[in-house]
This record gives sequence, C-alpha cells and structure tokens, in this order.
Amino acid sequence: MRVLVAEDDSDTAEFIRRGLCEFGHDILLAADGVEALHLLLTEEPDVSVLDRMLPRLDGVSVIRRARAAGMGSPMLLLTALGRIQDRVSGLEAGADDYLVKPFALSELAARVNALARRKPFRQQPTRLEHRDLVIDLLKRQVTRDGLPVTLQPREFRILEELVREEGKVVTRTMLLERVWNYHFDPQTNIVDTHISRLRSKLNEGNKVDLIETIRGVGYRMTANG
Amino acid sequence: MGNWRSSAAYRIAFINFAAYSAGLALLGVIVFAAMHIAFGRQLDATVSDEARSLQDSYARGGDAELAKEIAEREAPSSSTNMLYAVFAPDGRRLYGSLLTSRPKLGLHPIWFRDPQEGPDEARAISIDLSPGERLVVAIDDDWLDDIEGLIVVIFSLAFAGSIVVGFGGALVLGSYLQRRIQSITSSAEAIVRGDIRRRMPVGPRGDEFDQLASTLNRMLDQIEGLLENLRQVSTDIAHDLRTPLARLRNSLERGMIGPGEPEELVADAIGQLDQVLSLFGAILRVAEVESGETKRFFGPVDLTAMLTDLAESFAPAFEDKGRTLLWSIEPDLEVDGDRELLAQAMVNLLENAQRHTPSDAIVRMSATSAGGTVFMQVADDGPGVPKGDLDRVTKRFARLETSRNTPGHGLGLSLVTAVAKLHGGRLDLRQLPQGLSATIQIPAGRVLRAPRNDHSEAGGQDQ
Repeated sequence: MRVLVAEDDSDTAEFIRRGLCEFGHDILLAADGVEALHLLLTEEPDVSVLDRMLPRLDGVSVIRRARAAGMGSPMLLLTALGRIQDRVSGLEAGADDYLVKPFALSELAARVNALARRKPFRQQPTRLEHRDLVIDLLKRQVTRDGLPVTLQPREFRILEELVREEGKVVTRTMLLERVWNYHFDPQTNIVDTHISRLRSKLNEGNKVDLIETIRGVGYRMTANG
Repeated sequence: MGNWRSSAAYRIAFINFAAYSAGLALLGVIVFAAMHIAFGRQLDATVSDEARSLQDSYARGGDAELAKEIAEREAPSSSTNMLYAVFAPDGRRLYGSLLTSRPKLGLHPIWFRDPQEGPDEARAISIDLSPGERLVVAIDDDWLDDIEGLIVVIFSLAFAGSIVVGFGGALVLGSYLQRRIQSITSSAEAIVRGDIRRRMPVGPRGDEFDQLASTLNRMLDQIEGLLENLRQVSTDIAHDLRTPLARLRNSLERGMIGPGEPEELVADAIGQLDQVLSLFGAILRVAEVESGETKRFFGPVDLTAMLTDLAESFAPAFEDKGRTLLWSIEPDLEVDGDRELLAQAMVNLLENAQRHTPSDAIVRMSATSAGGTVFMQVADDGPGVPKGDLDRVTKRFARLETSRNTPGHGLGLSLVTAVAKLHGGRLDLRQLPQGLSATIQIPAGRVLRAPRNDHSEAGGQDQ
C-alpha cells in the first residue's frame, strides 16, 4: 500500500517511514505542504499521514484543498499535544482520523491499516462473522457456536469494532474514541476492564479465546487457526 | 534637578507660574485704568464746582467781582492750583491768566501755554456766564501724571518681585513634583534591575502620589505572587520529571552494561517516557482549558447520558479493585459545554476517589440540578483530606505528603477546577464526616428541555 507521509522534521519522517515500511507499505515523503499536495494529486496514495504544522501550507489546508480537488483517499492528521482545536479543524477539513504527537509507532501503523481498510466497508453490513462468532448488527445480538451471548452495549460495540478490523490490531485509544467517544486517556484502563468481561462472556464454556492481546498496543481478533 | 525641558513636573509648574503672572499683570492694568478714570472724574468735579462758584460770584457782582475772585485765586499765596480765563465772544481774553484760545463749551481737556514749562495739557470746563462772556476753569493734571507714574513704578517693582517669588515657587513645585515622581521611577527601576522585593515609598499624607504608590505596591505584590507561583510550578515540574527521567536513565544504562532482556528494558524505558509525556500532556491540557480557547466548541451536552455512560464504564473497573461505585443521575440534565472536558473532569474525580481510598471503599456519584445549577458530585468514604489542605489540593502539582508515593501527577484537580471555571462554575471540595466530596457546580443549559418530556434518551449515548 502506498502511504504519503508529510512531515517537515526529517528525524520524525524517517522514523515514520521506517516503521511503516516494516508493515509492508510503500512510503512517499513530503517535507512541506505544497509538496504534499502535489504528491497527493499526482501519485494518489492509498493513505496519507499529514502533520498539522507543515511549512508553506499547513496540514489542514492540504486536506481541505485535496478534498476540494476530489481526493477521496483516507487522510490522517498528526497534531501537537494539547491542541483540541487542531483536532476539530482537521476533522472539519475532511481528515478521517487524527493522532496526537508523540505517538507510538504501533498506534500509527494500526490506524493507517484501519484507514486503508475502510473503503470496502462503505456499504454497511448488517451481519459480521468471525470463525464461530456471528454478530447481528440490526438485532444487536451475538451468538457463538450457535449459542447466544448476552453483552452490555459497550461490550457489544467493542466486539463489533474488533470484528470489523478482523486480523488487524485495534489500539486502546482507537477503542476509547470509537466506543466511548473519549479523546483523552483516562488513567483507569476502562478498555482493559471491558475487554476482560467481554472475553469471559465469549469464552464461557472453555471455548478458544478469540481476542488476542497485543501487549502495550491493543487487541486483535485472532487470525483463523 | 534633572532635565528641565523634558520634565512634565517643571512644565506644569511653569505653566502655572505663567498663568499667575499674566493674571497679576491684567489685575495691574485694570486697577491702573480704574484709578485713572476715578482721578479724572475727581478733577472734572473740582473744576465744575469751581466754575459754578465763580458763576455765582459773577451773578452777584458782575465782571468786577469775578475779576477780583480770579485775581485772588491766582495770587501766588493762594492754595488752589487752578487756572482761569474769561473770553469775549470774539476770542479775546478779558481777564484771568490761563493762556489758551477760546475753547468750546463743556468738559474737555485743553492745551495751554505754561509760562514756565511751555505748552501743556489741562482738564478744563467752559461755561457761558452771559451771551458775551465764556469762563474757562482749568486744572493742570501734571501732578496726576506724576502720581500715576509713581504707581506704575511701584507696581512694576511689585510685579517684578512677585515674578521672582513665583519663579522660585515654580522651581520648588517643579522639583517637588519631580522628586515625588522620581521616587516612584527609581523604585520601579530597581525592580526592573531585579530587586523584585522593592516597593514604592508611601508617604504619610495619603495624597494622590501615595495612593498611586500603594496601588502600584498592591499590583507588585500580586505579580510577585504569580511569579512565585510560576517558580513553584516550574520547580514542581522539574521535580516531577526528575524521578521518571532518572529511572529511564537507569534502565538505559542497565541495558548498555548488563545482561537482561533488551526488549523488557526498552519497554520499561518507554513506560518511563510515557509517564513524562503524560505529565506534559496534562500540563498542556490544563493550560489549554485555562486559556478559554476551547469555549468555541461548546454545545448542548446531554449530561444524563454522558454521566450514566461514564458510571457504567467505570463501575467494572472499581469492582475489579474491590471498590463499589454507586450512582444516581437525574434525568434530562443538560448543560451548554464541552462534553469531552466535562467527561474528563468527572473521570479525574472518579480516579481520585479510587486512588485515595482503601480498597473496600464505596464511591457515590450523583448529578442533580437545583435553581439553574447542575451539581455533579463524587463522594467517597475514605480518609478525606486533612483540615487546612482542602484549598491546597486544587493547586497545580499539589500532592499531599501522604500521597507522594501514589501515582498521578497532581494535576487532576487543577484540570477539574479549570473545566468548572470554563463552564462558568466552580469545584467545591468538602470534608464529610466520613470521606470527601467533590462537586462540580455549573450553570444548567439555556436550552433546557421541557420537564418530564422524554426519558428514553438517558443512557443511550453509546449506541
């Protein structure tokens, strides 16, 4: 997958490039906003990672112009710590996701992967399946091996997110944002608490654990095995 | 005495002095003119009386009597200094020694020839005694000129004297003003040079300068307090950073020299760094909220849903640690605000309650509204906060000695306070008989829904 990385700090850019390369992506680097916009329009990357503060043309403007030019590919905005307004203006301009600097590389990689996979999901499914797990999104019911599993609304939402991103890592902050709509990190790990309850409900009767914990990063529905 | 030209003090003093001098000069002119007019009238009255008296003599004894009277008055032994003449209609002088030509009737100044001094001016009256004879009585006003000249001299001397006194006064006033201002300026300069403890001298009079000085002193006290606070905060940041950074250094050094799992060491190091970053994040977050910039993102917040969601999300975490979270949330609570920040504030209160209570504690979360104010409360049955520390705990980095070793960066309540203030409210901490209660009070939303309208929305946030 081709990923555009627009970041003016060369150390950070190199760090992101190497990290994403390891996940098998092709990286296009841009050191300023004008270059980024040029690459966006000519190379049409699959996903773009844009820093909010870019020389010549800032990240939000790049996104706005690219969207105006009809670019539909997913874009992620990198914002500085403690700048709520950047997040809001970025999303308003048409960013699909944002990440606060400094971030863990695994977090960025997970989000880039998630963004890249969004496209085929545009037509909303009503039913998700993962091995012996079936989720009915309309009735909001879950069955495992044909047996119903009763979940709390938040547990249901977590499971839905994990199954949607089947095989990909979903980070704790992604879950906090998508399930709780919290854009801050509580010290209490409410995600872990809910995952452990979800897990025990799903695994009742000594079934195989479907949720894999990726230490320090997040969770993933186990690959077929 | 400083620089004259650029000194406002001297300028004020000299403008005052110039106005005073001009007033004095004007007064002199007016007094002189009034006196001149008064003396003129006096002379006119004198000649008029004299003319009337001579007219009476003429009426009594005719020309002979009049000539005699005039001769008597003109005699060198006479005490009058008036001059007389009687003219025939053809302009011929009949008698009297006044050397002038026949004047018109009435009161007016005339020119005559003084035997000693030559042509001279006098005030005179002319009346007709009979159709043929015209009497002129004149009085030489040389003496008046003398008096007036003397008065001008005396006044000029007095004026010059008062100019000197006024100028001296202006100098004294100017230097006084300058000295008062200079004392404030030099204190301010001392403060600029770094003596921040220095204060303006305040005199005993309580005049404007003293009021200014004491106002400035109060301002300086406040600035010094803020500086002290800032210094304290920077010290606290440095202090709080030192521990995780030192641990980080140790981890890295251990990784360099010793055996051990390198991955574990790196994970450990990243953990230490994350702690540092979370401290910075918290500092920036508080600063961002305090700046008020986030107010643009205010909108109606369904508090009932938000808080119910929060309680349901945190209850399992409380349970896992042995504590109990109970909640009671009124339906239809709505405020105008930032949902994220309000949620984070309540999370901080919940986390505080969890952190500072024994593991079997019961924490109660409630939300009610009364009189246009929404009260969001988290109360625990833990040990609470020692008396006298209640004010301190909301300060930045405030961590009581007893909790020095618990995790957390001491910014939690600062953020809660900042969020409450941003929403036009406040944070109220209260020691309970058993435990501590923290209440965020903020004004209820302007867009309150009609009461008892729709309960179904409560708790539906996460769908």
